[in-house]
Amino acid sequence: MKLLHNQYLHLAVRLLLGGLFLYAGLPKITDTMGFASSIYNYKLFSSLVIGLTVAFIPWVEVLAGLALVLGVKVRSASLIISLLLVVFVSLAAISAIRGLDIDCGCFSGVERKANWLAIFEDIGLLGCSVFIFCFDRGGISPMALINKISSPSKTEAVS
Amino acid sequence: MTDIPDIVANPILKSPRNQTRTVFSWTIIIKDCLWIVGLAILLGGVLNYTLLFDGIDGKLIAAIQQKQLTDLRQKAEQLYPGSCFINLISSKKLYDDKLALFLDARTAPEYQSAHIYGAMSLPIRTLVQGDIQLDKVLPDKGALLITYCDGGECDTGLELAKELSERGYNNIFVLGEGYPGWEAAGYPIEKAGIKQ
Repeated sequence: MKLLHNQYLHLAVRLLLGGLFLYAGLPKITDTMGFASSIYNYKLFSSLVIGLTVAFIPWVEVLAGLALVLGVKVRSASLIISLLLVVFVSLAAISAIRGLDIDCGCFSGVERKANWLAIFEDIGLLGCSVFIFCFDRGGISPMALINKISSPSKTEAVS
Repeated sequence: MTDIPDIVANPILKSPRNQTRTVFSWTIIIKDCLWIVGLAILLGGVLNYTLLFDGIDGKLIAAIQQKQLTDLRQKAEQLYPGSCFINLISSKKLYDDKLALFLDARTAPEYQSAHIYGAMSLPIRTLVQGDIQLDKVLPDKGALLITYCDGGECDTGLELAKELSERGYNNIFVLGEGYPGWEAAGYPIEKAGIKQ
């Protein structure tokens, strides 16, 4: 139980998850058509849904990932990432059941199939995200450090 | 006016040991989520407005299909340099004139669920494993063959064309749009044993 409240563990998980979402989101912002192509391959979505997904989801990933890395709005960012991961797992599961041999579109330029392995990996990440949501208070983070330097007498936490 | 609960009004409280303690508040969490999502919508909307309009107009799918076809052609230059692509209109003309044999490179279950009407199932994996005696199935090595798969990023049609070329067949074309393109064009298909 003590390990669950270890701030260094919180920091490591947060950096891992936040970094991963930054790494996943940034290339999608620059290569929108590549991401659109991946979404289209699921053969589930209309033109409008693909357009909305490609325009907004990478930015949600990047902002939520950045928030985790910086230790700002940690709970909200982890909640958003958890919801995204639930969607990703559902989509990968549908594709695996339908027998589609497609790239999941998770990381631009990195081939990762939407199969059971990807589902288990995403469930692992979901576990990390839930862990951050439940236990992490942004104790060790760049923002906490800045707050400490700017007002040493006050100890602030970021929700 | 109702009182704001302490938890909502002041989410940061201090424990007796003067340590910071964050109090759980769904109101604040949801509000912050909306900030993040709102900012993402703002940035994404401003930077991708043309793509959004294409999505609303229904032009995005056609643009994606065009991109995938271009990518497949680029891939073909590396995988099978001598490959020849054929477009939907030309392939339909050959189909109507009964001049070409269509070969479905997808798996047998995919073929059974739906395929180009009159096409022959020739899954690339089965062929490579040697489960099909090609000389019996395709005795004429000069026959005009058109291979296809699932369109998009699927390249098994291209792989089948390469495999056949290596085995001495010399008149092979690849239908880059694949089965989805053929179906979308309203050309003859067979779905679950019924011609449509």
